[in-house]
Amino acid sequence: MSNIDTSVTSEHPAATWQFDGVVRLTRVGTSFVIFTVVIGFAAINTGNNSLYIGLSFMLGCLLLSGLASKGGLKHLVVKLDGIDEAWAMRPAHGRLRVINRSRIWNVRDVIVTSAELAEPICIPLIERRGEIVAHALFRFRRRGLAQLSRVDLYTRYPFGFFLKKRRARLSGDVVVFPRLLDEDVVRDRFLLVEGDLQSTNRIGGGTEIHSFRDYVRGDSLRRVHWKKSASVGRWIIKQNEVEANRSVHIIVDPFRPDDVSEETFEEMISEAATFLDDALRGGLQIALSIPQVTFHSDRDSDAAMFRALALLGATRQPVAQTMERDSVIFSVAPGVGSRVWGVGA
Amino acid sequence: MTTTAVNTAISDPRSPTPDSRRRELELLFLTMFSAVPLYATQAISAPSLLAFHAMLLAIAARVALGKGPEAIPPMVMRGLAIAYVPFYIVDAALISRSAIAASTHLVLFIAAYQPIESVRTRNTAQRLLTASLIFTASVATSTHIAILPFVVLFGFLLLRQLMHLSHEETAGMTGLPAYEPPSGGAAAFYVCGALLIGILLFPLLPRIRNPLLPGMAGPLNNATTGLSDSINLNEPRSISSDTSVISRVWMGPETIPFFTPLRLKGTVYERFTNNTWMQGRRDFVQLDNSDGTTQVALPEGFTRKASVQQRFPMGSRLFLPVGTYEVSGAGQLAEGPTRDIFTVWQLHRDTIAYDVALAHDTKPRRLQRVTVSNYPVTPAVRAMAQQIAGSETDPMRQAEAIEKYLSTRFRYVPDPARIGHTMTVDQFLLRDHRGHCEYFAAGMVALMTALNTPARIVGGFYGGTLNPLSGYFVVRNEDAHAWVEVWDGNKWKTFDPTPVSLRPGNTQDGLVRAYAVALADVVNYFWDRHILTYGLGDQIALAIDMIDRFRLAGTAANLALHRPITRNLGTLIGALLAAGFAAVVLSRRRRTLYDHLADHLRRLGIEVGPAMTMSEALDELQCTHPAAALELEPLIKLYEAERFSGRAEKGRAARIRRRLVESR
Repeated sequence: MSNIDTSVTSEHPAATWQFDGVVRLTRVGTSFVIFTVVIGFAAINTGNNSLYIGLSFMLGCLLLSGLASKGGLKHLVVKLDGIDEAWAMRPAHGRLRVINRSRIWNVRDVIVTSAELAEPICIPLIERRGEIVAHALFRFRRRGLAQLSRVDLYTRYPFGFFLKKRRARLSGDVVVFPRLLDEDVVRDRFLLVEGDLQSTNRIGGGTEIHSFRDYVRGDSLRRVHWKKSASVGRWIIKQNEVEANRSVHIIVDPFRPDDVSEETFEEMISEAATFLDDALRGGLQIALSIPQVTFHSDRDSDAAMFRALALLGATRQPVAQTMERDSVIFSVAPGVGSRVWGVGA
Repeated sequence: MTTTAVNTAISDPRSPTPDSRRRELELLFLTMFSAVPLYATQAISAPSLLAFHAMLLAIAARVALGKGPEAIPPMVMRGLAIAYVPFYIVDAALISRSAIAASTHLVLFIAAYQPIESVRTRNTAQRLLTASLIFTASVATSTHIAILPFVVLFGFLLLRQLMHLSHEETAGMTGLPAYEPPSGGAAAFYVCGALLIGILLFPLLPRIRNPLLPGMAGPLNNATTGLSDSINLNEPRSISSDTSVISRVWMGPETIPFFTPLRLKGTVYERFTNNTWMQGRRDFVQLDNSDGTTQVALPEGFTRKASVQQRFPMGSRLFLPVGTYEVSGAGQLAEGPTRDIFTVWQLHRDTIAYDVALAHDTKPRRLQRVTVSNYPVTPAVRAMAQQIAGSETDPMRQAEAIEKYLSTRFRYVPDPARIGHTMTVDQFLLRDHRGHCEYFAAGMVALMTALNTPARIVGGFYGGTLNPLSGYFVVRNEDAHAWVEVWDGNKWKTFDPTPVSLRPGNTQDGLVRAYAVALADVVNYFWDRHILTYGLGDQIALAIDMIDRFRLAGTAANLALHRPITRNLGTLIGALLAAGFAAVVLSRRRRTLYDHLADHLRRLGIEVGPAMTMSEALDELQCTHPAAALELEPLIKLYEAERFSGRAEKGRAARIRRRLVESR
């Protein structure tokens, strides 16, 4: 069993031109500054006002360069315009809206970078009081609720003397679905389990009552077994037996003992998500149970199930979950790591 | 607000790419353009410039035809580059005989070499630097206002290239193809901006000449003169209609009636040898300038003031208006190379501005030994002189008679070449009776010599044109003139035997042309006075002027405040302004939530940098002080909500401040 490779961040390493701070002199800028100093020295020493004219113009260019790049970046506002389904460690297409609120400066050659962006975005021109919708590729490292809090804006505009940086605030939450495993070896582990899915007598959308369980929020009232509920004093839900044998009940156990690493837990979630994905692709009817809630593929969207897996947090205490025969259970255990096992298999 | 969609993150093969050929041609044009002013300034020889432009044109032609820029094979060019190293020394020592000219040649060679080398290495930045160096050499040697359009156009082309380079490097940083929008308008905008800032900076830049390397500065001798060190009548004389401005003179209305037409005195010819009039003794006597004013003569009669701005067509010689007895603002002066002629002792510029005090008459500053000219008077000339003088015995009366005789009986020929042959002064007086001003002056000196009266020829400029737009007299090179000074036993008196209507400066122009010339001269004057000759003195004068204006404004305000209505109104406005100012200061001095949080984090060992958010600082804190981070987390969330959420919540800021204080 392999750990999740967290070093995948190296796929999008910080480029050499990125830096901490606000401004950096470029090679062209350094040459220009040296040239200006030389002309300044010559002008002062000779008192030649023609050289002073050149010096004034060059200083004007330097000053204007600083004003333009600062004034331009200062008025840029970046907003997350939308993002497609985001899976951990997979590129997700999204849109960033970059608004230039300056009344004076057109801004050119703006590079937008962020830890969440798969690659930097280069925007050639944002006219004053205009806006640009830039298509971006995001890459999130972990499942869960990712908060896009900031982007870095770089520009060399107008003359390339300075590389100026501004950190812009970005507000947007993205639910990142769990990582789907790509490796065939990992997927092969599920084949046995998938074979067992052919047996009957499993919870499903049939007419025969298979078992009972406590009501949890989200269950349809039509499934309440009123007679039994009246006898026990609380709502009891009837679980019918599946009609077709191509159905599966996936249970994800969020209990993570202290001696199981977070990576192992995440790997288990990834395996569950991969299993769920494969099952959905295979056209199976799926019930996904996590503590307190069960999703059914016939009435809940795929996205809802993956979102549930994305947001499922580890618990320190074991959680009681109703297991059925032929359930596929994903859990972690000390010394074993993630494991998949089926009831009655 | 316009919205545009752009897809840059994904490489789009349909995205247009920059037209490299057009860019290359533009860069070549910029390089060629940078050297164009050198033709006019003649800082280096024309053949080398022509060779440079021919080479770049050949490269540009190849590029335009879609070929590479290798007009000369790169290997050959590299060989030439190696060979240029010893050639530079030969050029500086033997060919150009100037390290500056040789260095300019070297830079031109580099500029021609770089386009060929650009095939192998990307050297746009270096090429722009080389073009800037060439253009700097062009600007540094130029003194004419015509350089300004060149500066603007060069600035435009340079900024366009820099913007293109910036775009290229930005695209290179990301590795993404990106469409470059047109940059012409942006470059024009930035040129205007840079010029505006440059204009504001120009008068403020420090003018401290030669702080490190004394002696580097030198005059730029670009003006020519109609004057010369001698009047050689053995050679054909010619007069050129050179309209270069030599001097501008301001005289108030109280001065003009007494000191016009202007005479600017530049040379004195006293000795006659071999039909040539020469200047007198050649030595320089330094004059006292302890209080910034130099006395050059002793005044007699009423006095007036005038201001002069002049170029230096003859070394560092001053062309002082006749009647000048005091000069101030010109620096250290010396008398020489001949007496009554003055030069600037140490000259660092090609134009100078100074003030003069004029007197109706002036006497020499010290006693002079005045002798009669050494002109060999022939009996015929002596007889002519005695005939003109008649019974007059007073030398001044005699001089007046001769002046009148020559100006009425002799014919002035504006162009000496029309006479068709050279002549002596005797031939002018006795045979031809026609000539130009030098003959008239020499003839009068000969006649005065025949009468045994000391006289000398004075060379300088006469008349000038009153500029109706600015109110000053413009004296041009074509106003060069010669007249006579006669010694009256006490001082030199001015006479001019040249017919008045035909003297230089008396030509009549049409009204439109006159005003056009006047306008052009106003612009030229502004350039000369406020740009080329702007210096430390002007900076001090500007500062004094500003202080005076403030003082005057203060006095005016003080007077106004003594009136009851204005006093009350002023008090009210002052109080309002003070209150507003105090409010602004207090609001600025009030520490923001960010400052408080940053201080708190600093105490915990986390320095919040300029490009760091509070959340990031909290992340750092979690690594070092997890407990403190846990405590601070809700506060930072509150702060971010206060700062960024846009939903105001009453008392939230105060709550954060209070909790921060409590947490200490």
